[in-house]
Amino acid sequence: MMGHHFGVPHHKELQRRIILAMLDFLTAATRSGEIKMLPLKWATARREAIKIERKLGLKED
Amino acid sequence: MENSKNENDSSQMRPGLWATVNERYLGSMITKTDFVPLARLKKPLSESRLTFVSTAGVQPKNSMPFDTVHPVGDYTFRRVPSDSKVEDLEIHQLKYPTVGAKKDLNVIFPIERLQELAEEKIIGELAPNFFSFIGYNMDALKLEQTLAEDIADAVEAEKPDAAMLAPA
Repeated sequence: MMGHHFGVPHHKELQRRIILAMLDFLTAATRSGEIKMLPLKWATARREAIKIERKLGLKED
Repeated sequence: MENSKNENDSSQMRPGLWATVNERYLGSMITKTDFVPLARLKKPLSESRLTFVSTAGVQPKNSMPFDTVHPVGDYTFRRVPSDSKVEDLEIHQLKYPTVGAKKDLNVIFPIERLQELAEEKIIGELAPNFFSFIGYNMDALKLEQTLAEDIADAVEAEKPDAAMLAPA
């Protein structure tokens, strides 16, 4: 999603997972221009981020 | 590189879209028909130096702001020290939603995540600087001949083994 290429706010684990997938692909890619789609859903990421923000006290219930 | 003139090109979201954009911003829509050869890491990632290049318009506070309103765009870049703290950085870019980045810069410029990965030695080390520019550049030829060359020289000078490139 535009402006959110590495995940959603405060979801460190997701951000890390995206970067690690990219770094893995650095060695796994077999040809120039190859694209790898990650099995991630924005709706799931946003729900998880809301839970994290509530835990951090950044969002009210 | 060539401009896409084929209105029936199925790679376009809507037939003729690229021709319409090209009329307004001549040369801005291009199709690459060739790729550079795949370059492989010469050593394990845990021994490699990584740099990061971003179009998010992130820059150190007190550095010259990107010109976000110039009709043809800003063809300069900024160095962002890779050991920077998030609170010492700011975004100057109008062309993407920054609400998420203002809550947590790492969603668009994951500097803290990369610092952590380097500390854990998953990445060998980070290059001294990351590089940032804004993605609103309507003169594709000028972008290729000036900004791209300038960034390539600056990145190469720090001798990274790999570069992570991310749009905004």
